[in-house]
Amino acid sequence: MKKFLFAFLIVAVAFSAFANGGKENAAPAAASEPVVFNYNNGTEPQSLDPAEIQGVPEHNVYMSLFEGLVTYNPETLAAEPGLAKSWEVSDDGLTWTFHLRKANWSDGTPITAQTVVDSWLRFLSPETAAVYAYLPGMIIDGAADYNAGKTGPESVAIKAVDDYTFQFKLNGPAPYALGMLSHYAFAVVPLHVIEKFGSKWTRPENIVTNGPYKLVEWQPHDKIVMEKNPSYWDAASVKLDKLVFYPIEDENTALNMYKQGDLDWIETVPDAQLDSMKLDPTYHVNAAFITYYYEFNTTKAPFDNADVRKALSMSINRQELVDKVTRGGQFPAFGLTPPLANYPAVVAFKEDAAKAKELLAKAGYPNGQGFPKTTILYNTSEGHKKIAEYVQQKWKEVLNIDVTIENQEWATYLDNRQHQNFDVARAGWQGDYVDPNTFLTDLLYSTAGNNDGRYSNPEYDKLLDKAATMPDGKARMDVLRQAEEIAIGQDMAVIPFYYYTRSNWIDTNKWGGWYTNILDVHPFKNIYKK
Amino acid sequence: MSKYILRRALGLIPTMFIIVTICFFFIRVAPGGPFSSEKKLPPQILQNIQKKYNMDKPLMIQYVKYLTDVARGDLGPSYKYKDYDVNFFIKESLPKSMLLGALALLLAVILGIGTGMISSLRQNSFWDYLSMSVAVIGISVPLFVIAPVFMYIFAMKLQWLPVAGWLDDGGVKMLILPVVSLSAPYFATVARLSRASFLESLRSDYIRTAKAKGLKTSVIMFKHVLKGASLPVVSYLGPAFSGIITGSIVIEQIFRIPGLGRHFVQSAFNRDYTMIMGTVIVYSLILVIMNFLVDVLYGYLDPRISYK
Amino acid sequence: METTVNNELNQHVKGVSLWQDAWRRLRKNKMAMFGLYTIIFYAVISLSAPILPIYSYKQQVLGHQFLRPSFKPAGQLIYEKKSKFLHAMAAKEGRTELTAKENQELADLKESLATEKKKLLSGEEVLVNNRVYILGTDSLGRDLLSRIIYGGQVSIMIGLIGALASMLIGVVLGALSGYIGGRFDTLMMRFVDIMYSLPYILLVIIFMAIFGRNIANLFFALAIVSWLTVARVVRGQVLSLKNSEFIEAARSSGAGTARIVFRHLIPNTSGVIIVYTTLRVPAFIMLEAFLSFLGLGVQAPFASWGVLIQDGVYAMTTYPWLLWFPAAAMTLFLFSMNFLGDGLRDALDPQSKNKL
Repeated sequence: MKKFLFAFLIVAVAFSAFANGGKENAAPAAASEPVVFNYNNGTEPQSLDPAEIQGVPEHNVYMSLFEGLVTYNPETLAAEPGLAKSWEVSDDGLTWTFHLRKANWSDGTPITAQTVVDSWLRFLSPETAAVYAYLPGMIIDGAADYNAGKTGPESVAIKAVDDYTFQFKLNGPAPYALGMLSHYAFAVVPLHVIEKFGSKWTRPENIVTNGPYKLVEWQPHDKIVMEKNPSYWDAASVKLDKLVFYPIEDENTALNMYKQGDLDWIETVPDAQLDSMKLDPTYHVNAAFITYYYEFNTTKAPFDNADVRKALSMSINRQELVDKVTRGGQFPAFGLTPPLANYPAVVAFKEDAAKAKELLAKAGYPNGQGFPKTTILYNTSEGHKKIAEYVQQKWKEVLNIDVTIENQEWATYLDNRQHQNFDVARAGWQGDYVDPNTFLTDLLYSTAGNNDGRYSNPEYDKLLDKAATMPDGKARMDVLRQAEEIAIGQDMAVIPFYYYTRSNWIDTNKWGGWYTNILDVHPFKNIYKK
Repeated sequence: MSKYILRRALGLIPTMFIIVTICFFFIRVAPGGPFSSEKKLPPQILQNIQKKYNMDKPLMIQYVKYLTDVARGDLGPSYKYKDYDVNFFIKESLPKSMLLGALALLLAVILGIGTGMISSLRQNSFWDYLSMSVAVIGISVPLFVIAPVFMYIFAMKLQWLPVAGWLDDGGVKMLILPVVSLSAPYFATVARLSRASFLESLRSDYIRTAKAKGLKTSVIMFKHVLKGASLPVVSYLGPAFSGIITGSIVIEQIFRIPGLGRHFVQSAFNRDYTMIMGTVIVYSLILVIMNFLVDVLYGYLDPRISYK
Repeated sequence: METTVNNELNQHVKGVSLWQDAWRRLRKNKMAMFGLYTIIFYAVISLSAPILPIYSYKQQVLGHQFLRPSFKPAGQLIYEKKSKFLHAMAAKEGRTELTAKENQELADLKESLATEKKKLLSGEEVLVNNRVYILGTDSLGRDLLSRIIYGGQVSIMIGLIGALASMLIGVVLGALSGYIGGRFDTLMMRFVDIMYSLPYILLVIIFMAIFGRNIANLFFALAIVSWLTVARVVRGQVLSLKNSEFIEAARSSGAGTARIVFRHLIPNTSGVIIVYTTLRVPAFIMLEAFLSFLGLGVQAPFASWGVLIQDGVYAMTTYPWLLWFPAAAMTLFLFSMNFLGDGLRDALDPQSKNKL
């Protein structure tokens, strides 16, 4: 027994000695403490190279390190002068001219209009293989052809008029073009560094940036440490000395760190903690430009029948779903596009259990009899699971049909969805830009790449084609609204459930310059300590 | 002895070749690929990407290229985390996982043998039942419960230790919770194994002889029993090591440790082919080396075995 | 079979059959017997789950989410919660009594709770607030007791089938390998070595991605990665038995390979096999729990202990019963399995027979 205790003591003493040793390192010495902001970015960014990225965590890093022609207003997300101090548009709305300010990379190399041209061409080059190359391809004249390898770079309608004047030409009217330019698909990158270091240019020892922060340390899967960039043109308004991004995937760990003050801002908490964390004074919730919906495989019976689709959709109680199951203040959805200032949400149908039963009977399944074996497909997530279980019980209760629910890991789920290997599949869509088009055309146009349910209605396509040629304004919105009524109200191409909200936990009494907004984009440039 | 090592090392080559081959083709049968994304890529862009990573070539050519790269020690670029290659990730994360695993095993062995010793000396006493019950809890409660419970008690409630992080976040005290949590199941197994083998040794003839000669219990325990009784514990270390990897998947996620464990699962979910292959190669190599070390140690402890 | 033999110390011992002897030893081991009785209890509960007076494990009642464990009906718990909340609000405002409006609100609540009806999945319509949840409810208002019982069914089944399947593969291949020997044995053991060197978790993930996520594939995936140790152990046993006299005798009387392996070798290793199987069951249950942690557990609305614990672990501070009850149920079972396994080993191990 003594020996054992002795061994135990040795271990205990060893650990406590280590513990004390660690403390000394951590003690800060400086008199005025630097302002540090710790953020949970949720996951490790795939890359820091703007041409290699997609997704929100990558975008957060991009916003902090780089700046394109325009940048975001932190409150409204409207385009604000960035690298370009001003711009003008030709009368036909196609030719845009940008006047650049005299800005430098963090190593002192000047940024000229030619840098912008070269950066954009690099992004579009087929060899770069940028995922988001379709965004400039969509609006810039000649960009898609160059990306497809059909033509050379000279066919892209962008040019440096002089050292500090940059010009591009659109391939048609695009009311949202200016807002798009703050996207990383239009990034300006340090070509002189890329040339020198090749694929290693984003390493902390090589990278130079032109955004509000510079990269000082990057330990993949551990942390990204940024410091204020003194050579940034607007460095005076950057108030944080240090910005640290953590890639923490475990929600409970992140929450515990937030409670202990190791993190200053988190966006998710475990479901079981939601009710208590909603009472936390640092809780903020805002509407988001995202819809949660179920897709039907319309190539397959019985989901090729609009009555069946309507019956399944009308039997759900969306208010109950958001109040009792998701509990995040989401808004019940009766249309596909989340509400916008100039496009209030479409209410395309009403929930009605009796009507749902009737429609199911009309489709040949009275009281659910003979309804084919059906599976709801969703990807692994606590939240998706709960919703699927709720829907499963609801369909049994109201329509008396038995469905199974199947959870697949992400890659398998996507593969099955994109190959129409499903009956009903969970889906969510975040608008890429603030316009109903990003929902209606991208998701349900008969030939759209993301139309995984293969919904097709010529009438609907015709209306969208018509809207595409119209100038921005009420008339165009009315046409889009009409289209949405057809797709959801008449055809129930998908089952809309709710419009997302985004939760954030950040102490706004301590931190300023942070605002809620519909795209849930929060530029780090503007955050300051009160 | 050196001949023996050489033979083992040479035997490694065909084994590794078969492992690499099986995995290379097996993972490509799984649905989805490294570049599938929710917003479906236009075909032109997908084609550009596949060309960039040589994935437009026939599979056999990709395989031969991969083999030659691996033979030169290059495990290729990561398809998911594009700024670094697989070699870099392994170089960065492997030492962390090794340190975590080694400390956990060490703690488990020290505490486990101690507990086993006490239990065997006081067989069927209250202490025996108590320590064996504690030990069984270690193998009956999943790590993903032990770790958050420890975190809640020691970091949140008592505020003795930091919540999560690695050495550079706050020194060696960051290690305590992960190491203790990870060691729990191994402590339990070692305690049970060593109790059984201590009991067996205590009953053996040579110990009875020693007792009859009037040697003190403590001398018997440390001079005679310990060496013989540690054999099963040593042979357990090989399999324990592969278990540590699985455990570290949980521990590294919960305690935010940038180790290799997460890559085992995440690279498979991401279909990050090169990263999967890299982790498999490293895992297999380490396992083989561990087993080899265990064999050597075994031979040292058990004079009946000799290597020719 | 009563024979009289002397042991190596030349003491006179009464010979009994292996199984009687083992049973006698097992009965003396308190912990093992405790384990055995507990397992029998679990088995009875699991098998009789459909006829037990418990609620459906998948019936959601959305008004009844996160109710604490209690013998009181749900309606009363909801009423007490509301009443407590109103009193707390009143105390905050410095009142000792509730306002008339608040009292009315409470009375209305009581009334509506008492009369609210709901049609259950089984088709019957009940006064839903009379339901009693002695172990509380989960995030969708489902009865935790029933989920633990049905989850136990799934987990125990995974443990048993997994252990038996891996045992079957391992025993057959191990015995053949040991008996046939030569090239076959070398190849077989090389194959086992290779399988050992592959991270099994990767195999399981890819396997389930290729063949789909259902319980059968889960069993299969677990079995194919876990027969290796059994095969090695059985092969070792067979090798040591191979040259024993009774096998020689069988061989000289003209028995074929298959007959020798299946009629003589395997039965003679049954002690080791039984012990090993018993100890594998908890390992499989833990493995399934680990897969649940990764999101690869059984499909909802089925649950296993692993899934319940994984769902409950982050409710530790807010709704602690969601963690502690499933964890206790699982731990007790694994506990019992381990003690029974240990007891069986002591009882069946011929090494320790008649010693000390």
